[in-house]
Amino acid sequence: MPGFLKEFLNRNGTGMGLAILGLVLFWTIVLIILPQVSMLDFSFRPNLPPPEIGGPKDIYTAENYKYLIFGPEGGSQDYNAVDLRVFFRTLVAAICVTIFNLILCYPIAYYLGQTKGNHIRIFALMLIIPYWINEILRAFALRIIFGETGVLNNFFVGLGVFDTPFDFIRNDIALYAGLGYAYILLMIFPIYNVIESLDRNQIEAARDMGASWIKIHRRVVIPYAKPGISSGCTMVFMLSAGALAAPQILGGPSSLWFTQLIYQQFNDNSDWPQGAAYAVVLLVTCILLVLAIMRLFKVNMGDIGK
Amino acid sequence: MKNLSFLRLSVWFYLAIFFAYLLGPLIIMSATAFNSPDFPRITPWECLTFEWFSALFQDERILNGIKNSVIIGFGTVVLSVAMGLAGALLLTQIWPKLRATYYTIIIAPILIPGVVLGISTLVFWDRINRMLGLGADSFLSNGLFLTIIGQSTFIASYCMLVLVARLQRYDVALTEAALDLGATHAQAFRKVLLPFMRPALASAAVLAFLASFENYNTTTFTFGEYPTLTIELAQKVRYGITPAISALAFIIVVLTVFAALANEAKIKRQQLVLAARQNASIEELKQGIKLPGFLSGNAAAVALVLVSIATVVVVVTATTHSPAQCIADVKEQKRIEAEKLIQELRAKRDANRAKEDNKEDVQQAPKSENNSGFGNVFDPNALSTDN
Repeated sequence: MPGFLKEFLNRNGTGMGLAILGLVLFWTIVLIILPQVSMLDFSFRPNLPPPEIGGPKDIYTAENYKYLIFGPEGGSQDYNAVDLRVFFRTLVAAICVTIFNLILCYPIAYYLGQTKGNHIRIFALMLIIPYWINEILRAFALRIIFGETGVLNNFFVGLGVFDTPFDFIRNDIALYAGLGYAYILLMIFPIYNVIESLDRNQIEAARDMGASWIKIHRRVVIPYAKPGISSGCTMVFMLSAGALAAPQILGGPSSLWFTQLIYQQFNDNSDWPQGAAYAVVLLVTCILLVLAIMRLFKVNMGDIGK
Repeated sequence: MKNLSFLRLSVWFYLAIFFAYLLGPLIIMSATAFNSPDFPRITPWECLTFEWFSALFQDERILNGIKNSVIIGFGTVVLSVAMGLAGALLLTQIWPKLRATYYTIIIAPILIPGVVLGISTLVFWDRINRMLGLGADSFLSNGLFLTIIGQSTFIASYCMLVLVARLQRYDVALTEAALDLGATHAQAFRKVLLPFMRPALASAAVLAFLASFENYNTTTFTFGEYPTLTIELAQKVRYGITPAISALAFIIVVLTVFAALANEAKIKRQQLVLAARQNASIEELKQGIKLPGFLSGNAAAVALVLVSIATVVVVVTATTHSPAQCIADVKEQKRIEAEKLIQELRAKRDANRAKEDNKEDVQQAPKSENNSGFGNVFDPNALSTDN
């Protein structure tokens, strides 16, 4: 491709062209690709003290991945039940959070996208403000509400619904509410953007032809909004599967999120290769799951992020 | 008609629930900053206090965290806006066959979990550091450097998306005209393209700073010896929460509302001015048209003024209000309640004991001398009587 390169430099000038290329190469190769490759490579190595790295013991091994499935060597169980359970629980919970968010946000996005008027701007503002608040503080706010002496418990005990305070945190209700809360905007905006461009006449036409309210959505709005819906779902799923702050603050003491296991491997056990292997497993599984679902609903990768 | 109004009512009901879920936690959290108990709560409301704000400003770690966050934020803004602009420029020019691959690569960091980005950055630069034979305290393993690099990886993608949206409306003929008139490429870039991109660059920079400021997942692996505000907050929240955090949250909420309203008021004002110019007759234009006042027809501006007044009132109250009397009252009340409780318990215990004594009197009267479970082995006279 030297021809392309020459043309590019001609069009932008040598200095500018090289600056652009340099920045893009630095970003794509040094910041995006090489670190991922390096993490993958690292995950196949044993955990060695620094002096021995690069020495004869530094060979490729699948030990770290085996550990996730089979547990420590000579362990009492056939499978690493604890970590695997956390892994699947994380995935299932992330899917549930995504579906919950979709159901919650679709009507709002539809309403905002199809209604004209000044109050829509105010609603948009009210949507954006919570998103500017720190993730930790949002989780903290929910903890105040869901805590044992929190607002909800005081309210329900006061009403006489519960006899004793209900432990929302131990039952993970706080966690799911927190994850849903954290990523609401990422679900609403892509759907809103698509629905806003939907011609109102299409809906009117369907209504004139006698389509019911449900049918209009199923046959007209949802097919049209599919790129937005899939983009929102992908973002929410990836972010909640990879969330760390909300599980740390809102999670019950006995229930872990997979990212917390990774965090423990890095910070508490100082077993970096093990942590890297877990991170690779999380990344690959999430990507495969998203791709599979996108194939299922016939959506293109290019639609994401629009 | 009745059906329609029912639908409308349910829409409003749904909106109300939705926004209660969205804003309620923030409002409640802000309110807890003004209540005096050590644990953040709004019920029972004890005393209006501002001591949590002074506790916040005396917290060295929070202040240090803010400093680190600002340094990292500026570094990230510079790096990610530059990379985002370069990425956007290349995207509009790249060879069509490569376009999809290139787009996937530069959009991928948004979808990669932040934890993974943090780990890969840490592992990669650690290895580079070792390959270059540098020590553990070198520049490459510095927390500030690693955090800026790690955050920029995905924040540059956000910037790229913002910038490319504006760039698509750019007329390349403008640059060509500048070049034909003898400008160098760098001049054409600086004097033609950059001014056109300025609004998008500004919003990309704001977005980058906010994203950097609130990032946790990536930073938690890379921060080293430079904990940011978010890291400090997370550690505080995990190991015991106090209303001082609510006070910080309140400040951030107010600042955010201010910024959002100011931005909204500015946009609305520009629209109004534009409309006034368009509607004005030529005569009026000659004489200089009367532009609408800052507050007229601008709900956001009115709200901005109201929020400012409220803030001033709160600050003035904070300097004059002293909760000491109220706190003392509450303490006294608590003491009285506790005493009452103790007395009740004591009374209950006495009553129980009296009852039991009665029973024992009836049942165990014959062997009342030996009613201890240990059969009087601890009785100082027990040994002597055996002898």
